[in-house]
Amino acid sequence: MNWHAVKRQLNGWAILSFLAILLIVLPGIVVLVELFAPVNDNWQHIQEYLLPRYVRNTLFIMVATGVLTTVIGTSLAWFVTVYDFPFRRFFKWALILPLAIPPYIGAYTYHGILNYTGVIQTTLRNQFGITVDQSYFNIMSIQGTVFIFTLFLYPYIYTITRAFLHNQSSSMIENARILGRGSWDIFFTVVIPISRVAIIGGVSLVLMEVLNDYGVVKYFGIQTFSTAIFSTWFGMKDTSSALKLAGTLMILVIAILTMERLVRGRKQFSYASTKVKPLKPRPLQGWHRYAVFAYVSLVFAIAFVIPFTQLTAWTFLTFDTVFTEEFWQLVWNTVRVAFTATVIILLFALIIANYTRLFPSNMTRVISKVTTLGYSIPGAAIAIAVITLFLWLDDKVLDLARALDLSQTFVFRTTLIMLIFAYVIRFLAIGYNSIESGFEKVGKSFTEASRMLGWNTVQTFFRVDIPMIKGAIMSAFILVFIDIMKELPLTLFLQPFNFSTLATQAFKYVSDEKIHEAALASIVIVLMSGLLIFVSHKVLDKEAD
Amino acid sequence: MFVQINDLHFSYKGAHEETIKGFSISITKGEIVSLLGDSGSGKSTILRLIAGLEMPNQGVVVVNDCVCCDDCQFMPPEDRGVGMVFQDYALFPHMTVEKNIRFGLHKLNRKERNARVEEMLALVNLTEFRHRYPYELSGGQQQRVALARALAPKPALLILDEPFSNLDTSLQHRIRDDLRRLLKQTGTTTIFVTHDEEDAEALADRIVYLGEGKIKKQIMTENNKTFNPQIPCFV
Ligand SMILES: Nc1ncnc2c1ncn2[C@@H]1O[C@H](COP(=O)(O)OP(=O)(O)O)[C@@H](O)[C@H]1O
Ligand SMILES: [Mg+2]
Repeated sequence: MNWHAVKRQLNGWAILSFLAILLIVLPGIVVLVELFAPVNDNWQHIQEYLLPRYVRNTLFIMVATGVLTTVIGTSLAWFVTVYDFPFRRFFKWALILPLAIPPYIGAYTYHGILNYTGVIQTTLRNQFGITVDQSYFNIMSIQGTVFIFTLFLYPYIYTITRAFLHNQSSSMIENARILGRGSWDIFFTVVIPISRVAIIGGVSLVLMEVLNDYGVVKYFGIQTFSTAIFSTWFGMKDTSSALKLAGTLMILVIAILTMERLVRGRKQFSYASTKVKPLKPRPLQGWHRYAVFAYVSLVFAIAFVIPFTQLTAWTFLTFDTVFTEEFWQLVWNTVRVAFTATVIILLFALIIANYTRLFPSNMTRVISKVTTLGYSIPGAAIAIAVITLFLWLDDKVLDLARALDLSQTFVFRTTLIMLIFAYVIRFLAIGYNSIESGFEKVGKSFTEASRMLGWNTVQTFFRVDIPMIKGAIMSAFILVFIDIMKELPLTLFLQPFNFSTLATQAFKYVSDEKIHEAALASIVIVLMSGLLIFVSHKVLDKEAD
Repeated sequence: MFVQINDLHFSYKGAHEETIKGFSISITKGEIVSLLGDSGSGKSTILRLIAGLEMPNQGVVVVNDCVCCDDCQFMPPEDRGVGMVFQDYALFPHMTVEKNIRFGLHKLNRKERNARVEEMLALVNLTEFRHRYPYELSGGQQQRVALARALAPKPALLILDEPFSNLDTSLQHRIRDDLRRLLKQTGTTTIFVTHDEEDAEALADRIVYLGEGKIKKQIMTENNKTFNPQIPCFV
């Protein structure tokens, strides 16, 4: 690089992007540094007796959930794209709705449905005089955990695979049809191989969610990395070992991501032709029609209708006791903190995406990778890293205040700054990905045209770039907002004293064995997410036209 | 010389070979030069280097006594006073015809700006389409908007990348005569890129043949004899 190439790289966009990236990698560095710190006795104990179990449980849940969500997600995507059956257009987007129910809410709802006092067993006892063997109805097991994750996480695979099949495969599938191949045959010899990349992308999202989860495994009493990190940290008061667990978990995540790269090979999600020809669904004949309809309806019922109905019933049951002044405060807290974090995330995402787009180089490629790393770091690891960081920061601020003889100091860890900072790290990837793909879609020529007309990059950013990717910004906003609203582990451990959100309040009720009281907060989360998911799909569909 | 380009070298990131290997040219004020070459010969790349959208490895670009780029400085595209018509026009889809043309006039005051917009609309014959959005226009009309937008700020140099490639043939013939008249009328120094010899002959004063990143030969066209006979002709 010659001298003015260097100068060109060092502009305002670069500096802001570097600062943002620095903030994001800081907690990761804290965790990784601790991994190499000297070990204490407790860590040896954990490593010898507990770690094997955490690893075994975590891996079992990941593998089983991965397989089941793949089967359900891809089969649904295939049916909805290729066949015409009753209510296909409704199911097309309704099958995404389980995403509006966070797994921890699904977990306690299903426990409430299935346990001794739940609706099924009560009905069986009262109407039919049957008392069942409790072990058949116990969902609080490792298998139950897999069941819950499968129901509420399969939409990640479904949406990605469906979009891919819809846009990408029409000519190949049509050719195969013309060549007289049967549907099963086409599914296994054409569809699975070509949508491999999309499916793997979806599965890795599911696995990241599984590793991130704290609510389900905590409630079901399953020992995994997430629960272990928090119990080591709060139960044993051993921050150093907790950080080491977090580091081990991060290494596991990096292994998964590396594996994803290897399995995916050199293929990317690239669209071979710019003209996408949507596939025309084919009507099904005879019993096939009803079999497909029954399967799709069954999944939708179990993953959405049943838990939603149960939550609604409980909401009515407890409405008068739960719906108070404080409840409005919860809603306001949730919206306020999610909104603030989302706006910050979008600002970061826009700056970094614009920088990497305008000045492509090896450096910006690394920056773009790092930006999306945060999403793969599980909440437990981020939480402990962020707290460690802020404790250190508060110490420094205190020292400074003493040195300057100030009577008052600013304490970060009692403010929302810590929580919002953690949200930004974890969810920046979501915002960044949609904004980056928005930029990719419009290309660079409008930006170049604007610069040829005398506007610099900043002016162009506001006058041309932002208006051109309005749709992408909007859908980024919605996606990030939903995720933050549903988030549990970070909020649970980083929220300031006397501050709760809908999610943490619901979880608190559940922890206190007040399942029914948790319904109102839960259903507000589900309704708001469901509504936003619906809106975002309208936006995305319109963008596609 | 009004435009002076010396020994320009450039390679795309990751490419083994230089795309442009020592391109030089001098252009007098008001001259229309056509760069003619096969697809992939580096015509668009040269325009992007002149515009400042790419940075050369080496070489000097001077436009209207203003050093746009040499060994120790690089002027960003917005400061060069070069107007460009893109191959796909790149009209801002969220702005009307009028707003597109107005976009580059921020250095004028309000009154001058309005007057200039009217003048440009009249020049390209689109006054009645001023409130339309680009997607509501035909290909030929879009091209005229792109031209008006690029000419509105009175650029010292206008560059056009394959201005006819998106038009059908009959339209192409009519428009290139109009275009030449318009450029001469405004006295605009112009470089335009094409792979069509006929276009080049109809529109340009001089044709520069490009091959393997360098100039192969140059000829004066018939047009030139009636316009500016004092330009030396080097073959
Ligand atoms: N952004 C780019 N990155 C790498 N190579 C490029 C890029 N744009 C063009 N090239 C290569 O540079 C050469 C010249 O391209 P271009 O200037 O577009 O040719 P022309 O306009 O004459 O058809 C071609 O071989 C092309 O493949
Ligand atoms: Mg070209």
